[in-house]
Amino acid sequence: MTNYHPSIEMLTDYAAGSLALAHSLCVSTHLEHCNECQQQIRKLEMLGSHLFDQTPTEERQLNSLKNSFFDTLMKQPKAEDRVEKPLQLKNPSQWDEYKIPSSLRQFITKNYDDLNWMRLSPSFKIATLYNEEGGAQIALTRVKAGAHMPTHTHTGDEITLVLEGAFSDESGVYRQGDFINRDASHKHKPIVTKDAECICLTVLDAPIEFTGWLARLLNPIIRRYHPHSQA
Amino acid sequence: MERATKLQSDEQRIDDMFAIAEHKDQAALARLFDHYVPKVRAFCLAKQPGANLMADDIAQEVMIRIWNKAHTYKKESASLNTWVFTLARNARIDYLRKNSRHQSDIDPEYLWQNVIDENADPFKDAQQKRDQERIQQGLDKLPPDQKQVLAKVYLEGKTHKEAAEELSLPLGTIKSRVRLALHKLTIYVKR
Repeated sequence: MTNYHPSIEMLTDYAAGSLALAHSLCVSTHLEHCNECQQQIRKLEMLGSHLFDQTPTEERQLNSLKNSFFDTLMKQPKAEDRVEKPLQLKNPSQWDEYKIPSSLRQFITKNYDDLNWMRLSPSFKIATLYNEEGGAQIALTRVKAGAHMPTHTHTGDEITLVLEGAFSDESGVYRQGDFINRDASHKHKPIVTKDAECICLTVLDAPIEFTGWLARLLNPIIRRYHPHSQA
Repeated sequence: MERATKLQSDEQRIDDMFAIAEHKDQAALARLFDHYVPKVRAFCLAKQPGANLMADDIAQEVMIRIWNKAHTYKKESASLNTWVFTLARNARIDYLRKNSRHQSDIDPEYLWQNVIDENADPFKDAQQKRDQERIQQGLDKLPPDQKQVLAKVYLEGKTHKEAAEELSLPLGTIKSRVRLALHKLTIYVKR
Protein backbone atom coordinates (compact mmCIF):
# COMPACT_ATOMS: atom_id res chain seq x y z
CA MET A 1 0.00 0.00 0.00
CA THR A 2 1.63 3.21 -1.09
CA ASN A 3 1.07 6.53 0.66
CA TYR A 4 2.75 8.99 -1.66
CA HIS A 5 1.37 9.39 -5.15
CA PRO A 6 2.01 11.50 -8.25
CA SER A 7 -0.09 14.68 -8.29
CA ILE A 8 -3.35 14.62 -10.22
CA GLU A 9 -1.73 17.00 -12.74
CA MET A 10 1.04 14.53 -13.38
CA LEU A 11 -1.40 11.62 -13.71
CA THR A 12 -3.47 13.65 -16.15
CA ASP A 13 -0.43 14.54 -18.26
CA TYR A 14 0.60 10.88 -18.20
CA ALA A 15 -2.84 9.64 -19.32
CA ALA A 16 -2.91 12.32 -22.00
CA GLY A 17 0.57 11.37 -23.18
CA SER A 18 1.97 14.88 -22.69
CA LEU A 19 4.26 14.04 -19.76
CA ALA A 20 8.00 13.83 -20.43
CA LEU A 21 9.14 10.23 -20.98
CA ALA A 22 11.52 10.26 -18.01
CA HIS A 23 8.69 11.33 -15.71
CA SER A 24 6.31 8.87 -17.36
CA LEU A 25 8.79 6.16 -16.46
CA CYS A 26 8.39 7.03 -12.77
CA VAL A 27 4.60 7.21 -12.98
CA SER A 28 4.47 3.88 -14.76
CA THR A 29 6.66 2.26 -12.10
CA HIS A 30 4.44 3.70 -9.38
CA LEU A 31 1.34 2.28 -11.09
CA GLU A 32 2.74 -1.22 -10.79
CA HIS A 33 2.41 -0.78 -7.03
CA CYS A 34 -0.70 1.36 -6.79
CA ASN A 35 -4.16 0.14 -7.61
CA GLU A 36 -5.70 3.46 -6.63
CA CYS A 37 -3.73 5.41 -9.22
CA GLN A 38 -4.41 2.69 -11.81
CA GLN A 39 -8.12 3.32 -11.38
CA GLN A 40 -7.52 7.04 -11.68
CA ILE A 41 -5.62 6.50 -14.94
CA ARG A 42 -8.41 4.29 -16.25
CA LYS A 43 -10.89 7.14 -15.80
CA LEU A 44 -8.48 9.74 -17.16
CA GLU A 45 -8.09 7.62 -20.29
CA MET A 46 -11.86 7.43 -20.62
CA LEU A 47 -11.93 11.22 -20.51
CA GLY A 48 -9.22 11.26 -23.17
CA SER A 49 -11.26 8.98 -25.40
CA HIS A 50 -14.31 11.26 -25.20
CA LEU A 51 -12.23 14.30 -26.10
CA PHE A 52 -10.63 12.26 -28.89
CA ASP A 53 -14.06 11.23 -30.13
CA GLN A 54 -15.28 14.83 -30.17
CA THR A 55 -12.30 16.32 -32.01
CA PRO A 56 -13.62 18.12 -35.07
CA THR A 57 -12.38 16.25 -38.14
CA GLU A 58 -11.69 17.98 -41.43
CA GLU A 59 -13.53 17.15 -44.62
CA ARG A 60 -10.84 15.47 -46.58
CA GLN A 61 -10.78 12.67 -49.08
CA LEU A 62 -8.87 9.83 -47.54
CA ASN A 63 -9.30 7.39 -50.41
CA SER A 64 -5.72 7.54 -51.60
CA LEU A 65 -4.45 7.07 -48.05
CA LYS A 66 -6.82 4.16 -47.65
CA ASN A 67 -5.70 2.53 -50.88
CA SER A 68 -2.05 2.90 -50.08
CA PHE A 69 -2.67 1.59 -46.56
CA PHE A 70 -4.37 -1.56 -47.84
CA ASP A 71 -1.64 -1.99 -50.47
CA THR A 72 1.04 -1.91 -47.80
CA LEU A 73 -0.93 -4.23 -45.59
CA MET A 74 -1.34 -6.78 -48.38
CA LYS A 75 2.27 -6.55 -49.50
CA GLN A 76 3.50 -7.62 -46.10
CA PRO A 77 4.28 -11.29 -46.43
CA LYS A 78 1.42 -12.81 -44.46
CA ALA A 79 0.29 -9.60 -42.85
CA GLU A 80 -1.56 -11.53 -40.19
CA ASP A 81 1.74 -12.97 -39.03
CA ARG A 82 3.10 -9.60 -38.20
CA VAL A 83 1.54 -10.08 -34.84
CA GLU A 84 3.05 -7.60 -32.44
CA LYS A 85 5.91 -9.36 -30.82
CA PRO A 86 5.38 -9.57 -27.11
CA LEU A 87 7.79 -7.39 -25.24
CA GLN A 88 10.82 -9.28 -24.13
CA LEU A 89 10.24 -9.02 -20.45
CA LYS A 90 13.08 -11.20 -19.44
CA ASN A 91 12.59 -12.67 -16.07
CA PRO A 92 15.27 -11.68 -13.67
CA SER A 93 17.35 -14.63 -12.62
CA GLN A 94 15.63 -16.83 -10.12
CA TRP A 95 18.08 -16.36 -7.32
CA ASP A 96 17.65 -12.62 -7.46
CA GLU A 97 15.48 -11.67 -4.51
CA TYR A 98 14.12 -8.54 -6.14
CA LYS A 99 11.48 -8.27 -8.82
CA ILE A 100 12.42 -5.72 -11.47
CA PRO A 101 9.40 -3.56 -12.43
CA SER A 102 8.32 -4.10 -16.06
CA SER A 103 8.80 -0.42 -16.83
CA LEU A 104 12.51 -0.71 -16.00
CA ARG A 105 13.25 -3.94 -17.82
CA GLN A 106 14.23 -2.01 -20.92
CA PHE A 107 17.27 -0.87 -18.91
CA ILE A 108 17.78 -3.73 -16.48
CA THR A 109 17.87 -7.03 -18.29
CA LYS A 110 19.12 -9.23 -15.48
CA ASN A 111 19.20 -7.91 -11.97
CA TYR A 112 20.22 -4.92 -9.91
CA ASP A 113 23.61 -6.40 -9.03
CA ASP A 114 24.68 -6.50 -12.66
CA LEU A 115 24.40 -2.76 -13.14
CA ASN A 116 27.41 -0.56 -13.31
CA TRP A 117 27.36 0.81 -9.76
CA MET A 118 29.55 3.73 -8.81
CA ARG A 119 30.40 3.89 -5.13
CA LEU A 120 30.18 7.44 -3.77
CA SER A 121 30.65 6.51 -0.12
CA PRO A 122 30.95 3.21 1.78
CA SER A 123 27.18 3.04 2.11
CA PHE A 124 25.94 4.87 -0.99
CA LYS A 125 26.07 3.73 -4.62
CA ILE A 126 24.58 5.08 -7.80
CA ALA A 127 24.03 3.46 -11.23
CA THR A 128 23.02 5.49 -14.25
CA LEU A 129 20.32 3.82 -16.34
CA TYR A 130 20.04 6.41 -19.01
CA ASN A 131 20.99 10.02 -19.70
CA GLU A 132 18.57 11.76 -22.01
CA GLU A 133 20.28 14.08 -24.43
CA GLY A 134 19.43 17.57 -23.16
CA GLY A 135 17.07 16.02 -20.67
CA ALA A 136 16.91 14.10 -17.48
CA GLN A 137 19.27 11.73 -15.74
CA ILE A 138 17.68 8.43 -14.79
CA ALA A 139 19.52 6.48 -12.14
CA LEU A 140 19.20 4.02 -9.32
CA THR A 141 20.56 4.75 -5.89
CA ARG A 142 21.38 2.00 -3.44
CA VAL A 143 21.94 2.82 0.21
CA LYS A 144 22.84 0.39 3.00
CA ALA A 145 20.43 -0.32 5.84
CA GLY A 146 20.46 2.40 8.49
CA ALA A 147 22.75 4.67 6.49
CA HIS A 148 22.37 8.39 5.89
CA MET A 149 22.37 9.80 2.45
CA PRO A 150 24.52 12.92 2.31
CA THR A 151 22.48 16.11 2.85
CA HIS A 152 21.67 17.57 -0.52
CA THR A 153 19.59 20.16 -2.33
CA HIS A 154 18.39 19.96 -5.89
CA THR A 155 19.25 22.31 -8.66
CA GLY A 156 16.20 21.05 -10.54
CA ASP A 157 13.20 18.81 -9.93
CA GLU A 158 13.84 15.36 -8.58
CA ILE A 159 11.48 12.40 -8.56
CA THR A 160 12.32 9.50 -6.29
CA LEU A 161 10.48 6.21 -6.40
CA VAL A 162 11.16 3.58 -3.75
CA LEU A 163 11.80 0.21 -5.40
CA GLU A 164 13.01 -1.77 -2.40
CA GLY A 165 13.35 -1.04 1.31
CA ALA A 166 12.34 2.24 2.90
CA PHE A 167 13.79 5.58 3.91
CA SER A 168 12.68 8.60 5.88
CA ASP A 169 13.41 12.29 6.02
CA GLU A 170 12.02 15.34 7.84
CA SER A 171 8.67 14.96 6.09
CA GLY A 172 7.87 11.27 6.44
CA VAL A 173 8.62 7.60 5.84
CA TYR A 174 8.65 6.30 2.28
CA ARG A 175 8.07 2.68 1.37
CA GLN A 176 7.96 0.52 -1.74
CA GLY A 177 6.07 2.22 -4.56
CA ASP A 178 6.02 5.64 -2.91
CA PHE A 179 6.45 8.53 -5.31
CA ILE A 180 8.29 11.60 -4.03
CA ASN A 181 8.56 14.75 -6.09
CA ARG A 182 10.92 17.44 -4.78
CA ASP A 183 11.70 20.78 -6.30
CA ALA A 184 14.80 22.92 -6.15
CA SER A 185 13.82 24.55 -2.85
CA HIS A 186 14.23 21.32 -0.90
CA LYS A 187 17.21 20.53 1.23
CA HIS A 188 16.89 17.20 2.90
CA LYS A 189 18.78 14.43 4.62
CA PRO A 190 17.24 11.02 4.07
CA ILE A 191 17.98 8.05 6.32
CA VAL A 192 17.41 4.46 5.27
CA THR A 193 15.47 2.29 7.73
CA LYS A 194 17.53 -0.17 9.76
CA ASP A 195 15.96 -3.42 8.53
CA ALA A 196 17.06 -3.47 4.89
CA GLU A 197 18.96 -1.68 2.18
CA CYS A 198 17.04 0.80 0.05
CA ILE A 199 16.99 0.95 -3.74
CA CYS A 200 15.35 3.94 -5.40
CA LEU A 201 14.72 5.09 -8.92
CA THR A 202 15.62 8.75 -9.28
CA VAL A 203 14.99 11.10 -12.14
CA LEU A 204 16.80 14.40 -12.00
CA ASP A 205 16.15 17.34 -14.26
CA ALA A 206 19.47 18.81 -13.08
CA PRO A 207 22.25 17.49 -10.84
CA ILE A 208 21.78 17.35 -7.09
CA GLU A 209 24.18 19.35 -4.93
CA PHE A 210 25.54 17.95 -1.73
CA THR A 211 25.70 20.56 1.01
CA GLY A 212 27.72 19.00 3.83
CA TRP A 213 31.38 20.10 3.91
CA LEU A 214 32.79 16.66 3.15
CA ALA A 215 30.07 15.67 0.76
CA ARG A 216 30.64 18.87 -1.19
CA LEU A 217 33.73 17.18 -2.52
CA LEU A 218 31.38 14.86 -4.40
CA ASN A 219 29.73 17.63 -6.40
CA PRO A 220 32.26 17.72 -9.24
CA ILE A 221 31.87 13.95 -9.64
CA ILE A 222 28.06 14.07 -9.66
CA ARG A 223 28.11 16.92 -12.13
CA ARG A 224 30.48 15.09 -14.39
CA TYR A 225 27.99 12.27 -14.73
CA HIS A 226 25.03 14.47 -15.50
CA PRO A 227 24.27 15.10 -19.18
CA HIS A 228 23.76 18.84 -18.71
CA SER A 229 27.34 19.26 -17.64
CA GLN A 230 28.66 17.78 -20.85
CA ALA A 231 27.25 20.55 -23.02
CA MET B 1 -32.58 8.78 -31.08
CA GLU B 2 -29.13 10.04 -31.95
CA ARG B 3 -27.80 8.27 -28.90
CA ALA B 4 -29.43 5.00 -29.94
CA THR B 5 -27.79 5.21 -33.37
CA LYS B 6 -24.46 5.89 -31.73
CA LEU B 7 -24.81 2.87 -29.49
CA GLN B 8 -25.74 0.75 -32.47
CA SER B 9 -22.66 1.80 -34.42
CA ASP B 10 -20.50 1.23 -31.33
CA GLU B 11 -21.82 -2.34 -31.29
CA GLN B 12 -21.13 -2.70 -35.00
CA ARG B 13 -17.52 -1.65 -34.50
CA ILE B 14 -17.03 -4.19 -31.73
CA ASP B 15 -18.36 -6.85 -34.11
CA ASP B 16 -15.86 -5.60 -36.66
CA MET B 17 -13.08 -6.07 -34.12
CA PHE B 18 -14.17 -9.66 -33.60
CA ALA B 19 -14.30 -10.23 -37.35
CA ILE B 20 -10.72 -9.01 -37.63
CA ALA B 21 -9.54 -11.09 -34.69
CA GLU B 22 -11.34 -14.22 -35.88
CA HIS B 23 -10.83 -14.23 -39.62
CA LYS B 24 -8.89 -11.13 -40.61
CA ASP B 25 -11.92 -9.51 -42.21
CA GLN B 26 -10.69 -6.70 -44.46
CA ALA B 27 -14.11 -5.17 -44.99
CA ALA B 28 -14.36 -4.77 -41.22
CA LEU B 29 -10.96 -3.09 -41.15
CA ALA B 30 -12.07 -0.76 -43.94
CA ARG B 31 -15.11 0.30 -41.88
CA LEU B 32 -12.92 0.97 -38.85
CA PHE B 33 -10.54 2.90 -41.11
CA ASP B 34 -13.36 5.19 -42.23
CA HIS B 35 -14.39 5.84 -38.67
CA TYR B 36 -11.08 6.18 -36.87
CA VAL B 37 -8.57 7.53 -39.37
CA PRO B 38 -10.12 11.03 -39.54
CA LYS B 39 -10.14 11.13 -35.73
CA VAL B 40 -6.53 9.99 -35.39
CA ARG B 41 -5.46 12.51 -38.02
CA ALA B 42 -7.29 15.31 -36.22
CA PHE B 43 -5.70 14.22 -32.95
CA CYS B 44 -2.23 14.51 -34.54
CA LEU B 45 -2.95 17.80 -36.29
CA ALA B 46 -4.08 19.26 -32.96
CA LYS B 47 -0.55 18.66 -31.71
CA GLN B 48 1.20 19.87 -34.86
CA PRO B 49 -1.06 21.86 -37.16
CA GLY B 50 -0.28 21.31 -40.83
CA ALA B 51 1.80 18.18 -40.26
CA ASN B 52 -0.22 16.07 -42.69
CA LEU B 53 2.51 13.54 -43.37
CA MET B 54 2.93 12.87 -39.67
CA ALA B 55 -0.84 12.54 -39.30
CA ASP B 56 -1.00 10.04 -42.19
CA ASP B 57 1.90 8.01 -40.80
CA ILE B 58 0.47 7.79 -37.31
CA ALA B 59 -3.05 7.02 -38.56
CA GLN B 60 -1.68 4.12 -40.63
CA GLU B 61 0.34 2.88 -37.69
CA VAL B 62 -2.78 2.88 -35.53
CA MET B 63 -4.69 0.90 -38.17
CA ILE B 64 -1.89 -1.65 -38.40
CA ARG B 65 -1.97 -2.04 -34.64
CA ILE B 66 -5.74 -2.54 -34.74
CA TRP B 67 -5.25 -5.20 -37.42
CA ASN B 68 -2.52 -7.00 -35.50
CA LYS B 69 -3.81 -6.57 -31.98
CA ALA B 70 -7.56 -6.99 -32.46
CA HIS B 71 -7.45 -10.31 -30.61
CA THR B 72 -6.07 -8.62 -27.49
CA TYR B 73 -9.00 -6.21 -27.22
CA LYS B 74 -11.40 -7.09 -24.39
CA LYS B 75 -14.59 -5.13 -24.31
CA GLU B 76 -14.99 -5.78 -20.58
CA SER B 77 -11.83 -3.86 -19.74
CA ALA B 78 -12.23 -0.78 -21.92
CA SER B 79 -14.55 0.71 -24.50
CA LEU B 80 -13.27 0.48 -28.06
CA ASN B 81 -12.92 4.26 -28.21
CA THR B 82 -10.70 4.23 -25.14
CA TRP B 83 -8.63 1.41 -26.58
CA VAL B 84 -8.11 3.25 -29.86
CA PHE B 85 -7.39 6.50 -28.04
CA THR B 86 -4.56 4.78 -26.12
CA LEU B 87 -3.19 3.32 -29.38
CA ALA B 88 -3.23 6.77 -30.98
CA ARG B 89 -1.67 8.39 -27.93
CA ASN B 90 1.14 5.83 -27.81
CA ALA B 91 1.77 5.96 -31.56
CA ARG B 92 1.98 9.77 -31.38
CA ILE B 93 4.43 9.62 -28.46
CA ASP B 94 6.56 7.09 -30.32
CA TYR B 95 6.56 9.09 -33.55
CA LEU B 96 7.55 12.30 -31.78
CA ARG B 97 10.25 10.53 -29.81
CA LYS B 98 11.83 9.12 -32.95
CA ASN B 99 11.55 12.30 -34.97
CA SER B 100 12.37 15.01 -32.47
CA ARG B 101 15.57 16.97 -32.17
CA HIS B 102 16.43 15.26 -28.91
CA GLN B 103 15.82 11.62 -29.49
CA SER B 104 15.10 9.62 -26.41
CA ASP B 105 15.81 5.94 -26.04
CA ILE B 106 13.11 5.48 -23.44
CA ASP B 107 10.75 3.07 -25.14
CA PRO B 108 7.14 4.13 -24.49
CA GLU B 109 5.90 0.58 -25.20
CA TYR B 110 7.11 -0.37 -21.73
CA LEU B 111 5.46 2.54 -19.99
CA TRP B 112 1.80 2.26 -20.82
CA GLN B 113 1.32 -1.46 -21.02
CA ASN B 114 0.41 -2.35 -17.46
CA VAL B 115 -2.39 0.10 -17.17
CA ILE B 116 -4.84 -2.07 -19.05
CA ASP B 117 -6.99 -3.83 -16.54
CA GLU B 118 -6.62 -7.54 -17.07
CA ASN B 119 -9.00 -8.79 -14.41
CA ALA B 120 -12.23 -7.66 -15.93
CA ASP B 121 -15.39 -8.99 -14.33
CA PRO B 122 -19.11 -8.25 -14.78
CA PHE B 123 -19.13 -5.93 -11.80
CA LYS B 124 -16.31 -3.89 -13.24
CA ASP B 125 -18.03 -3.89 -16.59
CA ALA B 126 -21.05 -2.21 -15.02
CA GLN B 127 -18.85 0.19 -13.08
CA GLN B 128 -17.01 1.05 -16.25
CA LYS B 129 -20.26 1.82 -18.12
CA ARG B 130 -21.34 4.09 -15.26
CA ASP B 131 -18.01 5.93 -15.33
CA GLN B 132 -18.29 6.33 -19.09
CA GLU B 133 -21.79 7.79 -18.84
CA ARG B 134 -20.81 10.20 -16.10
CA ILE B 135 -17.78 11.44 -17.97
CA GLN B 136 -19.67 11.78 -21.23
CA GLN B 137 -22.56 13.71 -19.70
CA GLY B 138 -20.31 15.78 -17.46
CA LEU B 139 -18.13 16.80 -20.38
CA ASP B 140 -21.07 18.29 -22.25
CA LYS B 141 -21.85 20.51 -19.27
CA LEU B 142 -18.35 21.81 -18.53
CA PRO B 143 -17.75 25.57 -18.81
CA PRO B 144 -15.71 26.41 -21.94
CA ASP B 145 -12.62 27.57 -20.01
CA GLN B 146 -12.31 24.19 -18.29
CA LYS B 147 -12.91 22.26 -21.48
CA GLN B 148 -10.35 24.39 -23.28
CA VAL B 149 -7.63 23.43 -20.82
CA LEU B 150 -8.52 19.74 -21.02
CA ALA B 151 -8.30 19.94 -24.81
CA LYS B 152 -4.86 21.55 -24.57
CA VAL B 153 -3.59 18.77 -22.35
CA TYR B 154 -5.22 15.82 -24.11
CA LEU B 155 -5.42 16.77 -27.75
CA GLU B 156 -2.59 19.23 -28.20
CA GLY B 157 -0.37 17.17 -25.93
CA LYS B 158 0.64 20.12 -23.75
CA THR B 159 1.73 19.76 -20.16
CA HIS B 160 -0.03 21.90 -17.55
CA LYS B 161 2.99 24.22 -17.63
CA GLU B 162 2.92 24.63 -21.40
CA ALA B 163 -0.83 25.22 -21.37
CA ALA B 164 -0.30 27.98 -18.80
CA GLU B 165 2.33 29.68 -20.94
CA GLU B 166 0.24 29.47 -24.06
CA LEU B 167 -2.91 30.86 -22.49
CA SER B 168 -0.86 33.46 -20.56
CA LEU B 169 -2.41 32.32 -17.32
CA PRO B 170 -0.73 31.46 -14.03
CA LEU B 171 0.02 27.77 -13.60
CA GLY B 172 -2.19 27.80 -10.50
CA THR B 173 -5.20 28.84 -12.59
CA ILE B 174 -4.62 26.02 -15.07
CA LYS B 175 -4.24 23.51 -12.27
CA SER B 176 -7.43 24.61 -10.55
CA ARG B 177 -9.41 24.54 -13.81
CA VAL B 178 -8.30 20.99 -14.49
CA ARG B 179 -9.00 19.95 -10.92
CA LEU B 180 -12.45 21.52 -11.00
CA ALA B 181 -13.24 19.79 -14.27
CA LEU B 182 -11.99 16.40 -13.05
CA HIS B 183 -13.94 16.87 -9.87
CA LYS B 184 -17.17 17.52 -11.77
CA LEU B 185 -16.53 14.48 -13.94
CA THR B 186 -16.03 12.52 -10.69
CA ILE B 187 -12.61 11.45 -11.90
CA TYR B 188 -10.73 13.22 -9.18
CA VAL B 189 -11.61 12.54 -5.59
CA LYS B 190 -9.36 14.21 -3.09
CA ARG B 191 -7.43 11.62 -1.10
